[in-house]
This record gives sequence, structure tokens and C-alpha cells, in this order.
Amino acid sequence: MHLRSSLALLVPFVVAVERSAAQELLLKARRIVVAADAVLTDGALLVQQGKVVWVGTDIPADARSRAKAIDYGEATIVPGFVLAETTLDQDADLAEGALAFTPDLRAAEAFDPWDERLLALPALGITSCAFSPSPRNVAGGIAAFVKPGKDRGAIAAAELHLSLSLTGAARNPERQPTSLMGAMDLLRTTFTAARTGTRTGPDAAVMHQVLQGSRPVFVHADTWAEINAALDLSRDFGFAVVLVGAREAGKALPRIVQQKASVVLDTLVPEGRLEPLRLPARLAEAGVPFCFAGQPEKLRLSAALAVRNGLDRRTALQALTRMPALLLDQQQVVGSLRQGSAADFVVFTGDPLDLDAAHVATWVDGVRIAGTDPAPKPAASAASATVAGDRR
Amino acid sequence: MRISLRPSLLAAGSYAAFGLLALPAQEPKPAPTPPPTAEPPAPPLAEGGDAQDPEPPKPGKPPMLVVEAGTVHPVAGPAITNGVVVIDGERIVAVGKKGEVEVAADAIVRSFPTGHVYPGLVDAATDAFTDAALRTEAGVDAGTALADVLQRRHDRDDELVAAGITTAYVTVRSPGVVRPQGAIVRPTAGGFEPWSGHEHGAVQLRMTNGPGPTHALQRQQMQQQVDALFDGLEDYAKALTDHEEALKKYAKEFEDYLAWHKKKKDEKAGDKPADKKDDTKAATPPAADAPPSPPEGRRRVRPGGGGGGGGEPPKAPGAGEVDDEAFAAALGLVLEAIAQDPPKQDPGKQDPKPGPQTPPGGGAPGGEKPAENKDEAPKRPTWPKAPPRDPQKDTLQRVLDGALPLRVEVHRADEVRAALQMQRRRKIPVLVLEQAYGAGECADQLGERGTSTVLTDLLPADLPESYDGFDPAALAAKLQAAGVPFAIATGSARRAPLLPMMAAAAVGRGLDRDAALRAITLTPAEILGVATDVGSLQKGKLADVLVCDRPLFASDSHVLLVLQKGRTAFETK
Repeated sequence: MHLRSSLALLVPFVVAVERSAAQELLLKARRIVVAADAVLTDGALLVQQGKVVWVGTDIPADARSRAKAIDYGEATIVPGFVLAETTLDQDADLAEGALAFTPDLRAAEAFDPWDERLLALPALGITSCAFSPSPRNVAGGIAAFVKPGKDRGAIAAAELHLSLSLTGAARNPERQPTSLMGAMDLLRTTFTAARTGTRTGPDAAVMHQVLQGSRPVFVHADTWAEINAALDLSRDFGFAVVLVGAREAGKALPRIVQQKASVVLDTLVPEGRLEPLRLPARLAEAGVPFCFAGQPEKLRLSAALAVRNGLDRRTALQALTRMPALLLDQQQVVGSLRQGSAADFVVFTGDPLDLDAAHVATWVDGVRIAGTDPAPKPAASAASATVAGDRR
Repeated sequence: MRISLRPSLLAAGSYAAFGLLALPAQEPKPAPTPPPTAEPPAPPLAEGGDAQDPEPPKPGKPPMLVVEAGTVHPVAGPAITNGVVVIDGERIVAVGKKGEVEVAADAIVRSFPTGHVYPGLVDAATDAFTDAALRTEAGVDAGTALADVLQRRHDRDDELVAAGITTAYVTVRSPGVVRPQGAIVRPTAGGFEPWSGHEHGAVQLRMTNGPGPTHALQRQQMQQQVDALFDGLEDYAKALTDHEEALKKYAKEFEDYLAWHKKKKDEKAGDKPADKKDDTKAATPPAADAPPSPPEGRRRVRPGGGGGGGGEPPKAPGAGEVDDEAFAAALGLVLEAIAQDPPKQDPGKQDPKPGPQTPPGGGAPGGEKPAENKDEAPKRPTWPKAPPRDPQKDTLQRVLDGALPLRVEVHRADEVRAALQMQRRRKIPVLVLEQAYGAGECADQLGERGTSTVLTDLLPADLPESYDGFDPAALAAKLQAAGVPFAIATGSARRAPLLPMMAAAAVGRGLDRDAALRAITLTPAEILGVATDVGSLQKGKLADVLVCDRPLFASDSHVLLVLQKGRTAFETK
């Protein structure tokens, strides 16, 4: 009875959201970054059913007349940022304390759509994220792809990659393994068993998917030894690896390049050592695919710091948008504003890689869920700026 | 750790006392005061505190230096496209548009056609050049000065000037309620120079328990503890003033005392036969219109002179010199007279007792004073004991006198209000708030009082979790709206390269762009009291110039050149 009444209350809300998403929208801005390497000037974006249906300067007149026009003036529209790894501070529910090896657990089952941390992401420009098992287990489980909403979030894809961890957090003195050697032995044993078919069950099934190449693997590894261990596993069992954290990736750069590994970077600390601040530029120079992650509040700052320390702006923006989408295998729906993509975008008064650009609004699936609409302009000055700040 | 005090802290009063000890008959002179803070005497200072030889004399006047750039941001006025900054020696002599400013033909021109020129940045709070022990030391008092213990670190924390910072206020966030006095320094390539006259930048207090969970009562107790530092200062100041008065009185009484004994000696010498041929002074009193001679004890004895026979003939005492023998005789008389207590008086010359025949006013018949006043030996004055000096109270007194600003670290709104209340109650002329994250709630009060604020921690998520409700980047815009003068500072040497990004973050949260630039240049200079010399590109100011390849607030802006007093302090190779 109680559940029914709750659902009844939700129906009008869902309908309202759907109506909003159904409304065709014509969004204009001085700059629209379709992808990091494709920027429109004075273009427009036609959104229908929460997806981008047209982008460019030659949108058909009938579509223009039908759609509700929203003009952000001098502002810049960029694809929504994609956070490639987060636990949304729910570590306790995303790690099985007694067992170190739980590859078949699904983070989606611990997902809370009303989690305040999730609902705070749009104000930071983040429109989707990989909700991942905690790195406190050697094999934590399977990540989910989730998106925030105006009042509640949603799971966009329940099963993404397998999350492994070789970091100190996974080496718990109260249960095995207690060392990096032990963690490696555990993983080798289970991968070997999955390869030879001597082990069955849900966990072996996940390992088998990895060996077959149908399940991507993210490995948390910070130090040179941990990174090398992850690359050893990747080489020995023939799967592609995405290194998460990879604080000392600079030391293992040749091998990372050789094995075509990718990197999900942790938060860049402004006052920290210079090596981590310069790592993104080094990775870009070496051609290693990488993206920014870590604390959501510092995601944009991390990119700005990387730019300050030598990373080019195009790669930095790509590492916030397109690259994490690619690593999560969600590039068809997020990470860019190409036709058919979800209408997930963020409006800034300038380049988001400059901290003086103010956040104006964030849209997820064609619905504005953070920020404000542009102020109505007098007809005479319709072409002039409303939300933009001039840069000196 | 105990940190030695600067002698100048003890100067007031003590030097006067020493002067009086040496020259008891003279009027006490005022204590030497440090030079005014507005304009330093600018002797060549040791870089990084090391010894440095005096500058060699320059062969000739160096040519003018002209910095040309795509955009010049003087801060004191609007940006100038195709602007120039003309520098002569250490100072700026002109700022304007290229072609409209007169430039000497032999001037050296540095051209940055797409560059941006700004005044050297001013960091209103940094822990540069301090060691870790000092940053955690809680046992210092307000009389301690950071300027005495600053040192190079020989790491990237020394490289403030490479980030465009040419003036910095050095402080520490030590845990004690009282912190050492901050110092204003001039960062140099790999080190710093103390800014002469500004070594004592401000008195630092801490009126917060920090981000840990605290009860309101706990915070109130801490606020009272800070406020109580000013208790007893009035009595302390009064004791010092009374002592100064007592010293003056002592000097006067001692002079009278010596004069009386000198007179008695002269009288006795007059009664005796002149058995010494050179003791003419006793027989010949000085002329009435002669200038008063110094007391005997201060007479200079001529070397080699005296009645030893041979040598130069003795000079007349009127020349201000006596020989040894004469001086010894006179001194002996004085000592003898002092030993007579009370002095024996000649019965034949005893004055009549005061009676009805004494005319009003104490005058004796015939215009003479009463006998007992004339001949009674004055009591030897007692040296007034100096009150014990307290360096902390001396320093806090300087705060109340307006000679030093008071900087107080506060976090929450109630702490900001408590600091304002303390300022009102104790009549503190200059108060600067640091880290006042909760200042937004009382911005109007701050604006009304004109209390300056130094903001740090402006980058996203710099604050601990318990301070989630605070937003320093957005606070800047609130303070601007309320008219509160505020500076944006790094708070840490390691963040020096991020100072422009911090200002940019404030712009991203609604602060006006010009105000943000001012908050890292002119406003901190005003807060530090050095705005007459630095903080903007204006004629007459020191030639501290920062040249960047892009606008300062762009993330990929890089420093190309930093001039300090017209000399290259940093240049990108």
C-alpha cells in the first residue's frame, strides 16, 4: 500500500520530466563545442527527446520555428563532463569487507538515485559518471554508468567494466591478501582457473568475460610496482587495461605506451609535487589515452592545472568529455554533442578550462537540472551578450 | 623555541633611561624611533638575509627601460592597448599608449607585441621563507618578529618571483593564539630581501579553534582569551609615562642637588687660603652671565695636564678644563660635602628663623630668601625604578597607537563579529581579518567599518569537510558588493603560481574582473601600507612589472618577464 502511494506520487513528476524532454529546444551560443576538435561559432543545437538531433548553423526553418529557442548569448556550450571513476563517497556499500575477491558484485545494486553527492554533480559540470566498486577489494566488482537528474539520478548502463585494485587500500591486514604479492597471486590463480575452466561460478564467469575481451578492466594502481604488476597481468592474460590513479605513471611510461594502456588520473593537487601536475602533458606527448577523475569538486580544476603545466587545451577538454566516454565505452551517447548523442551539455561564460569562466547551466538528457536560463533580452539588443564575460 | 627579540622593540624608553644614566644633568631625550614606514631609506640589503657588500658606485646613469606590450593593465586605470611602461632607474616615470609617451632616444626597449603587462603581484599572506618548526610553534609572543628568522628554503617555495610576486607579507599559521609579527619582504630570484622599514608588518592573533568541532561556548572562551590580551595595557602605558615623568623630575632634582653642593664647595674654598696656585676656580666664581658649566663629575680631564710639574702650563678654568689635581681637590670637596648629612653650618651665618618679620612670598628682608631655604641641603633624589618591560605589551600598545595593524585569523561568522567587537571595545585603529570564510554574513558590518579582509583558499574544495558551507570564491563577490576592501592571497608559498588562478576562481563565482586584479595587486598593497610604492603601474612607483604571454587569468598564461625595481628578477628562457 505504502509503495503504491509512493509510485502514485511519482507519476506526475515523471510525466513532467518527459514533457520537458519531449519539447524541442533550439539552443544558441557564441561557441558550441561539439567535440574537443569541432567548435561551432554562432551555431545552434536542436534537441528533441533528450537527444541532439541537429547541430550546426543550417538548422531547417520549420524545426527552428517549432522549437523553443534558448539563447545563451556570448556563452560557450561544451559537452557534459564524464567522471570515469567514482564511489560517490559510498565506499562502505561498495566493498565487501570480509572478502577480497568479489568480481561478480554489481555497483548498480548499491546505487541510490537520491544520493546528494550524485545530485550535486551537475553544478560541477558533470553529467554522467561510472559508479564503481571501491578499490578496497582486489576484485571489487562491476561498475555502473549513472546519470544525475533534477531530483533523482538514474542508471544508464548497469554493467560496465570490472574493477580490480592493487593499491594499498586493497591489502587489508585482517584478511588475505595482505601484500601486493598476495594480490597478484590471487588474480593469477583466478584468471588461470577461468582460462582453463577449472573454476566455475559467477566470479569465474566475469573473469572469463575479461579473458574473452568482452569485459573491460580498470585496475587501481598508484605506484610503479603496482602499475607494473597490472601491466604484467594485462600482458600475461591478454586483456587491455585501464590504469586508475597511476600516480607514478611517469616512471612506467614506456611500458604503458608499449602495452597501449590507458590512464584515469586522480585529482591533481595544486600545491603538490610538480611531477603529478606535469603528468597529463607527458601522457599526451607520449600518446597515452587518459582522462581526469578523482574528487568531483576538483575535476575542472585538475584540467585547468594540467593546462597550466603544459597540457594543450584541446586534449584537456577531451580528457573531461570524449576520452572518459571512450574508456567507459559510452562514446555513442555521451562525451560529445554529435547528432544522436544525449543532450548532456554545460554552459559556461567562457572556456571551462579557465577558472574565470562562470558556470551558467547544466543540461542532462535535454533538461536543465542546474543553473539558470539566460535572462530575457530586449529585442533591440538580441544579438548582444547576456551571460558572457569579456576576456581581457 | 624561543625567538630573540629585535633591539628596536626595546628601544622605546630604555634608551632614554640609558641616556639619563650617562648624563644625569641633561634633559632626557626621546627614544630613537624607527624610520617612518612610508618610504624606506633603501640601503642595499642582504639578499635572503645573507651578508652583502655595499653596491659598487655606478659609472653613469643607466639608460631608461621601456616595456612595450599588446596590453598594459595599470590597475589604477583602464587597460591600455599597445601600451608602454617607461622606467628610469628604480621607478616608473610614465605609463601610456605607445607613441603618446615621451621616450628617450637611448632607451632600452623590451617589446612584447601580444603580451600583457601588469604590476608585480602582491601576496598578502604567504608562509614563504619560514621553517616548519616556526609554523607549528605555539609558544611565541607578539613581541617576536618573523623578520628575524626568515631564511631561504632552497626549493621551489623560494620561487615567488617566478610567479610574478614582487611583494609578499610573510606570516605563519601557527596554532597559538598569539603569532609572531609578520614581515613584508621583496622576493628575489631564489630568495628574498626584507623591506627596510617594513620588517614589522603587523601583529598576528588567532581567534578561532579551526575546523574541528567546537561548541559555541568554547569559541566564546577563545574570543575572550584573545580580547584579554589587551587587558592592563592602559596601566602599563601609564606606568611607562609615569616613569618618564619621574626621570625628568629626577634629572631636575639631581641638578639642584649638585648645584647646592657646588655652591657649598665654592663657599668653603673661599674661606680657605688659596694654597694651590692653580685652584683659581674656587677663588674666582664664574661671571654671572657665563654659561652654566657642566657638573663636576662630567668635566673632561685633559690628558697630561695638571700640576705634575713640567709639560704645558695650566689653562684657566674658564676654558672649561681643569687639571687632575684641581679636579681631585674639587671632587674631594664635593664628596666631603655629600658626606655631611646634614651639612654643618656656620653658627655665625645661621639664618634667622622665619618669623612674622618675613615678608610674604618667602623672601627675606632685603630681597634675600629665608635662611633655612638657602642653606638647607637638598635631599639626594632617588633614581626612579623602571617598570618591568613586556615586549608583547609594547607591541600591542603599538597596535593601539595605530603604528602597527592587527591581523586576526577568524573563520566563522561569530568569530568575525567577535573580532569587530574587540576592535570597537579596544579602539583598535587598523584591523585586518584573515581567512574570514563566514564574513559574508556580516559583510555589511565590515563595509561600514572599512575592515579589510585577506581571503585565501579560493580554489575549489580547498577547505575541510566541516567547512562545506563556506565558499571563499563566492565570498569575494559578496565583499565587493558590500564595499569591503579585500585581498586575495595564497596563504602558502607552494601555491604562489596559483595566485592568478585563485583570483580567476573568484571571477568565476561572480567577482568583477577588475576587482579581482586589484585584489592581488593594489588592494593588498594598501592593506600592507605600501601602496605608495607598489600595487599599480603609476608614475613614481617602484618599477615592479610582470609580463605574461596571455591574460593573467587564463590557465595557460605564462610569466615571460618580471622586473623588480627596474631590474630583471625573472625571465623565461
